Amino acid sequence: MFMTAFHHLVVGLVAGSGVIMGVCAILAWLSLYISNLEQSRTTLDRAAYVASIFTVIVIPLAVISGNYSPTNSGGAIFYNKFLFSGIAFGFSTSYLVGRFRFGPEIWHHASLANLQMISASISLGCIVILGSIGSKITLGESTLDILPFWPDFMNSVVINQWLSLFLVFFGLITVIISLRNSSVSNSVNE
Amino acid sequence: MKSRIFALSTILFLLLATSSGVANPGGKGDSNRDYTCGGSCHGDPSLSSTSSAAIEVDMAPTAYSGTTTKVSVSLSNLDTSENGLVGIFLLGSKNGNNDHPEDYGWTIVQDPNGGLSNYVEVVSSNNQVTVSWVLQAPNDLGEKEIFISIHHGSYYNHNNKAYIGETDAISVNIEPIPENYPTLAEGWTSPEERISGDSSTIKVRTINTESLMVYWRLSGETKSHQATVEMIADQEWEVSLPATLGDTRIEYQIVASMGDFSNVMPWLSMGTSEPYFDGTSIGANLQSISFALIILGFMISLQSRFAPRGVPKIADNTSEVEKLMTENQGSSVPMLNDEYWSRLIRSDENPGWLWDPIDSEWVADPSFSSGGDE
Repeated sequence: MFMTAFHHLVVGLVAGSGVIMGVCAILAWLSLYISNLEQSRTTLDRAAYVASIFTVIVIPLAVISGNYSPTNSGGAIFYNKFLFSGIAFGFSTSYLVGRFRFGPEIWHHASLANLQMISASISLGCIVILGSIGSKITLGESTLDILPFWPDFMNSVVINQWLSLFLVFFGLITVIISLRNSSVSNSVNE
Repeated sequence: MKSRIFALSTILFLLLATSSGVANPGGKGDSNRDYTCGGSCHGDPSLSSTSSAAIEVDMAPTAYSGTTTKVSVSLSNLDTSENGLVGIFLLGSKNGNNDHPEDYGWTIVQDPNGGLSNYVEVVSSNNQVTVSWVLQAPNDLGEKEIFISIHHGSYYNHNNKAYIGETDAISVNIEPIPENYPTLAEGWTSPEERISGDSSTIKVRTINTESLMVYWRLSGETKSHQATVEMIADQEWEVSLPATLGDTRIEYQIVASMGDFSNVMPWLSMGTSEPYFDGTSIGANLQSISFALIILGFMISLQSRFAPRGVPKIADNTSEVEKLMTENQGSSVPMLNDEYWSRLIRSDENPGWLWDPIDSEWVADPSFSSGGDE
């Protein structure tokens, strides 16, 4: 009972912070091209930065509470929730890491700004999908049902557990190597 | 004498070693059972007691042979155990064997939980329960009997007794079916459940039916909607009911018509089951984490790839450290004697470095200025 209420609370926080992060990051990126937004760039950047920190904290809480929530019946639709949570977390963290590494100056470099915008947009998209799946589970329908191309969440891509475990290690090694390479290349660049 | 004492001690030990047991306080699930589970421990007078519940049965006193009829059972004043579980039997007799209604010619079209069992377990709400069976009346004409029996625990049940309630016989007169009476075909039973999201049709077989109408509603709703019905063969119909998700139950009512006469049958229901899925919770978590890590690694690599020279990194203080080192190095230079510097050999191949032949090491040339390739 507690986990259901807690899950609803945390999911609301994920949706709120995720939307702030996504929208502010997209507007900060647009400020490169729309002169009216240029003055607000610093504010938008900071808002997106803080929201991304909060999103990265609350997504795992939502996953954990969802895991123990009685509504988790273990079907494909729930499996998809976990997968989209992972993707949202990955892109939110990428946004946060990028902003942390390069600071507010990141928006002055087109390629990096594009990457930040893509990370924030995909994260926002995944959070919208997560909300839609949640609505499907609790209400049986979603506002996004009106879209003609909405994917079928009754099926999911299931990878063998051992292969998933291998992919976890692979991902961990990828992150470590990427971070090491980035520090090496940065020192070379300087 | 010794052997007798040994034998008695052994028997006493074995008796004391037996554990106390109760008769399935958590229930046994829906199934086909005889009265008091065929004379099980629930039937033992020392392990059972009379239920305080009031049992009311609502059933039409007459039914046409081979047509559907409904048995509604209402229980009130129930004193159940903490889990509120109540077992309800629909019986054709109370002999302890061959008590199933089918032994007396009845066919269960649907039990209260959507299945085809004569014994169902339900959870009481506010010490009350109302359930109903849909039956197909026997082909044999004449007086038939139906019995209801219940089993449950009690909140204060220190003796772990089963509380049993039962009704007297409810008589139903089976009359011959009128000629051309539209009804369901013999042996047709309602599907128990559909897979979540499945909108496939259900097939209904009838007899003497010119037209068929089906109304549906979600469990708990009062407003009903008309379903699309298509005749696919003689006396065979395909009914389109909307797909359901989660644990929703959909109820439907069949109205079979012949000429001006319509036979309105009892409401049937169909549950929703999750489709077979081989994913596990731990697998979902692992896959989710792996996706997150791979995405993170990929995006960091892209950030490094696209990072232009000279982008300041607020978390990287290498430049400050190097500056300090240079300052320290600069301050330490005068402290080294001339003899040390004079022994170092300058190399054209390694500009900016001096070779120390004594310590066999390269030393940074403090006087070297790179000029910068940046």
